[in-house]
Amino acid sequence: MGLRDYVIRRLILIVPTFFLISLIWFALIHLAPGDPVQAMVAGHPVDRELMEQLRRELGLDQPLPVQYGIWVSRLLTGNLGYSYISKETVWNLISYRIPYTLEVMLVGEFLSLIIAIVLGVIAAVKNGSLVDASCSVGAIFGYSLPNFWAALMALMIFSRWLGWLPSSGPQTPGMEFSSPFAALADHLQHLILPISIILLTWTAYLFRIVRSSMLDVLRQDYVTTARAKGLRERIVIYKHALRNALLPVVTYEGYALGFMLGGEAVLESIFAWPGLGSFMVDSARNRDYTSLMGLGSIIAIIVLVANLSADIAYALVDPRIRYD
Amino acid sequence: MERQSQANSERKTEEEFFKPSRATRVFIIWRKLRKSKLAVAGLGIVLFMSAIALLAPIIAPYGPEWSGAPSRAPPSMDYIFGTDAAGRDMLSLVMYGARNSLLVGFGAVFIEIVIATSLGMTAGYFGGLLDEIIMRITDVFLTLPTTPLLIVAICMFSARGIFVMIFLMGVLGWPFMCRVVRSEFLSLRESTYVEAARSLGATRLRIIVRHILPNILSVIIVLATMDIPWYIFYEATLTYLGFGDPRSASWGVLLEKGYLYMQSAWWMITFPGLALLFTSLGFNIFGDGLRDALDVKAR
Repeated sequence: MGLRDYVIRRLILIVPTFFLISLIWFALIHLAPGDPVQAMVAGHPVDRELMEQLRRELGLDQPLPVQYGIWVSRLLTGNLGYSYISKETVWNLISYRIPYTLEVMLVGEFLSLIIAIVLGVIAAVKNGSLVDASCSVGAIFGYSLPNFWAALMALMIFSRWLGWLPSSGPQTPGMEFSSPFAALADHLQHLILPISIILLTWTAYLFRIVRSSMLDVLRQDYVTTARAKGLRERIVIYKHALRNALLPVVTYEGYALGFMLGGEAVLESIFAWPGLGSFMVDSARNRDYTSLMGLGSIIAIIVLVANLSADIAYALVDPRIRYD
Repeated sequence: MERQSQANSERKTEEEFFKPSRATRVFIIWRKLRKSKLAVAGLGIVLFMSAIALLAPIIAPYGPEWSGAPSRAPPSMDYIFGTDAAGRDMLSLVMYGARNSLLVGFGAVFIEIVIATSLGMTAGYFGGLLDEIIMRITDVFLTLPTTPLLIVAICMFSARGIFVMIFLMGVLGWPFMCRVVRSEFLSLRESTYVEAARSLGATRLRIIVRHILPNILSVIIVLATMDIPWYIFYEATLTYLGFGDPRSASWGVLLEKGYLYMQSAWWMITFPGLALLFTSLGFNIFGDGLRDALDVKAR
């Protein structure tokens, strides 16, 4: 089976996998005690009849398989439903938040990739040196760091004590009305803290992979051959060794998306960032079923596509892969 | 007849001669481990934190319920880590928090190992439809990002508590290890010495138990060691977000409560977080060293 068949087979498999995921997600959400109606009336004395009426209106009194079927049929027409809590369509809520999550995630991923590759190559080439040792220790440190605690400490130090950086939200209120340039500068200032925290953990993780992959590659025979041929060391490293060493990095970058989406949930809550992660946390708290289903679906699709892209990229780049 | 029995006893002696005993193997691994100062440091940290967790009721300067101190006092000679809003000594709280967190870590990993190993070996051994089903299930869990999955899953439980956490993490954490176990099983099944054992007439059960299992064990141990800090981290995260048990003394609770006093009482979030970091560091460093010593290539 060649590459094309492999890709087609994986693409076709995405559909049933997605529905399986949505089914399990649906079950998990609805198995929780309490429901949106309870969350909606929380604190207010409301009689049971009204609650039951609300449930009927929202279709929450139907048996679960029926509810799931209704959700699927709506999904197929592109309708993600209404959020119980905010009375907006789920799609509006999600599409408003996607750019915020993406900008932190993509910029963070991109930056950490660059830093990790640079440092990883240096550390591998100068294996055993002080640079290597300190980077490796730093990497373990960054990898073990609880990201939400790092966020809290950074918030405390840089925002509350030193006042250098703003503490919450993507923008200072009122900045929308000033010049685009000033608004952008303000937004960038707000971006610094969240991205730095992501950088800390993700760079550490990638660095270890780049370094160990590079070390493996540098031990290979073809590298020795290249050196024996008299090629300059720099060409040996960058043109021959690095290209092969980056293969596992490509795969991990694909899986990075799933990992980051999760990590962001906490970070977004701490920095009051209006992204998908904080939306997930709030929806779970409020038992906002429709939003949770919509979110779960979007995330599942993103992750499935990202995983597939990572696998395809890996298969394209490494001719040794067998497709089965 | 005599020649045959002589050959039998000779074969037994050969086996005993060439195959190092379990004690020797452990000793060899320990020697390799000792060479890396980092790994030994990691082990030291792990043992240190475990000791604190175990001995907390004895060595904590104040009881966990005791709250006679001035509220929100900065670190001092009496209260080395300061006190919290209710007047409890932070050092004692952090020590008792270690109990919770380490219990969650070890407990969840135990459940994870049990489920992942049995399912992974089953999938690898039987193959076919059973294998496909198990793999699809692991796919689902590996696709969904962990934190949102945990959040939604913990909302399922109206009771909150440490055992809920342990159960939840173990049950949601097994897919990754299961895949690794399965792929290790499959690759080991094709290896040369298994082929040799099969050609000598060993039964399948014997092959699994005596040849495959010990090698899978190394992978499992390394993976488990590296997973413990993750479970501790996720427990803290969930509790911090408010989905945990606010009455327990875990580090997540301390961070959740301390958040409000970030500006006035920095010690309330600094020390629990440092404890978290320290523990994670220990397990990660030790896990790294263990992986090098056991020469495991997985992950």
